[in-house]
Amino acid sequence: MDFRPSPAQQLLVATARDFLKKHCPPERVQRVALDARGVDDALWQRMAELGWQGLLVPAELGGSEGSLLDVILLVEEMGRAGAPGPFVPSAVVATSVLLACDNADQKKRLLPAMAAGERIVGVALADEASSLEVDARGRLTGRALFVEAAHVADALVVAARAGGETQLLLVPTDRRGIARWPLEVIGPEKLFEVAFDGAAVSAEDRLGSSAGRRGALQAGALARTAEMVGAAQRVLELAVEYAKTRVQGGRPIGGHQAIQHACADLVRDVDASRGLLYAATWRTSEGVPAAADVAMAKAYASEACLTVARRAHQIFGAIGYCEEHPLHLLHKRIHAASLDCGDAALHLEEVAQAIGLR
Amino acid sequence: MEFGFSPAETAFAEEVRGFLREQPLERFPVDGMDAGYGSGAHSRAFMKALAERGWISMCWPVAYGGQERPMFFKLVLFEELALAGAPFGPLAGSWQTADAIIEYGSERLRREVLPAVARGEATFWQGYSEPDAGSDLLALKTEARRDGDQYVIRGHKIWSSHAGIATHGLVFTRTSREARRSRGFSMFVVPNGTPGMDIRPIRSLTGGVYHYEVFLDDVRVPADLRLGPEGEGFQALLNGLDSDRFWGRFYKAPALERVLRRLVEHANTTGASRDPALRRRLAAMAAEIAALRLLFFRAACLLRDGAPISYETAVAKVYADETGQKLARLGMDLLGPWAPLRAGSREARLDGEISHAYLTSLGHTIAGGTAEVLRTTVAVRGLGLPAEPRKA
Repeated sequence: MDFRPSPAQQLLVATARDFLKKHCPPERVQRVALDARGVDDALWQRMAELGWQGLLVPAELGGSEGSLLDVILLVEEMGRAGAPGPFVPSAVVATSVLLACDNADQKKRLLPAMAAGERIVGVALADEASSLEVDARGRLTGRALFVEAAHVADALVVAARAGGETQLLLVPTDRRGIARWPLEVIGPEKLFEVAFDGAAVSAEDRLGSSAGRRGALQAGALARTAEMVGAAQRVLELAVEYAKTRVQGGRPIGGHQAIQHACADLVRDVDASRGLLYAATWRTSEGVPAAADVAMAKAYASEACLTVARRAHQIFGAIGYCEEHPLHLLHKRIHAASLDCGDAALHLEEVAQAIGLR
Repeated sequence: MEFGFSPAETAFAEEVRGFLREQPLERFPVDGMDAGYGSGAHSRAFMKALAERGWISMCWPVAYGGQERPMFFKLVLFEELALAGAPFGPLAGSWQTADAIIEYGSERLRREVLPAVARGEATFWQGYSEPDAGSDLLALKTEARRDGDQYVIRGHKIWSSHAGIATHGLVFTRTSREARRSRGFSMFVVPNGTPGMDIRPIRSLTGGVYHYEVFLDDVRVPADLRLGPEGEGFQALLNGLDSDRFWGRFYKAPALERVLRRLVEHANTTGASRDPALRRRLAAMAAEIAALRLLFFRAACLLRDGAPISYETAVAKVYADETGQKLARLGMDLLGPWAPLRAGSREARLDGEISHAYLTSLGHTIAGGTAEVLRTTVAVRGLGLPAEPRKA
């Protein structure tokens, strides 16, 4: 057993941290968060030059051929920096669906462009948030809720009922009969309702049966967990730093046990979440059954990392209530990540079945 | 990264499971109460059986009769025993004491005590706490006065687990008054039955006896039963407490996993498993237990690699105890009106195990460093927050 990333992975993490410090400092994160479009195109391009969006993609499709563990370590750093952009839906979930599908043309057409940062593909795969159907004439109808970054996505991967089965489709967002309505949320992520009103679906849009959906959502769940762990780690660091420097009554507030014990619990929550994340990612990479491990990691981190953010608000006191302070953005991102790719309730039910509850 | 066991570790786990299949646990009479830590009851017969396999001394140097197996074999053994609910209560203490004797024990301790440990015969109680020295251990008053080639120990120890059925006490004493509060302490390995030693049971809220208090009335101990150099017992004790947190709690996660399995089975039988809220609580417990296990394995990797430990074992210890309390509480809720029934009662469910676990778990966040003291350790030693000023 070994918890340490490999030397190559440590280098990836160090590079990512330096890069994000330079190109994605807190002031920029703030600016992009308040911006209506909410995407940093220059940052997205620079990330692509480093091969980040193509980490899961093999070299012959223009990717940088990394492992799922690499992606998870990278997303942890992105979560730590609060980096904006649709990395998880496009570079993890949609990419995983495309890689697993049997539509070779779409793979060749899209994956190299996605890896190069030239195309963004969003996802609408959650059953509980969409009701899409393809009728006998090949028309897609219904709506999908909470679709991230639909405004900048060139296409969407959607799951739709067709006949008796669920099919995966790749639908360009500029097709007739598709409308994107922004939802206003508390956090920096941009979410949309996407309405399909008889949009035409052709053979070349079909990605095959829903076989790849589960794996893609598991990869997404791990990535969202990594984002939460990274953000919670940052919250912990900020809170401890503040507890050391904020002086009241002649002493740093971190000299009081009430604050010390809160900080001790933050460390536990972050470390425990990270342990489950790494173990579940490792098992997934090894190809051993890992559905329950992924579900445990996501459900656990959803609770633990959100608790970290909420307790940090109490440690920071009034200053953490300000818009210019980084805490609330990290907090809101943790909350948003906890919902995407299956919320805690969904994952706990998966765990419940795995431990044998009938 | 690597989260699996090596082929040798996997093979050893299979060997342990084979042993447990061949030797049903009912065969081993129990001599002392299960205090709920996960290591089961105190059973001399079971310790003997482990000794016959060579497992007690398997990680010691060959020079002391060991096989120099890597530390992870101990973890594998712990996990398998705890998952099976085996009565290996004194094992962690025996290992820790043996390690200390191997590291800085006298020739006599190595010659007399180590072989008895390896045979599963010698087990130990800790004489640390005193009536007025709990979390503030350095306030202890027990003194050992040098008299020729002997020490004369006088004092009063309390909360010593299994002291009445163990063979030796690890008695922490003051041997001199020094300017520095942490200097002047020495540890002794004192055989039970030494004249002047009076061991009295303390009945606990479970109705059983786990702790004892020990009166030491001019107990004469040969100087070479001192463990480590005179006056430097505190550092040894700190190291011991650090490793106590790890070794004394490592088996909690697999032990809780065993209890959780029983609760799942029970919920399936009664139909409680269909209650969505209960499903979520049980599933969340499974995730917490998995997280707990990994906290311990991360600390284990640091210990194995000789990397510095600042807060990791303290975090893991507190989490073990609080997760155990939470699971016991969940078990009580699940059993409803049957929850208070004791082992042996008519109508008891799950052998009365849950009500016992519920009660014993109350002591876990107190014993071996309270949750409060350890959270302070995490904050000060791990995170670098300023220590609270100490009154002289």
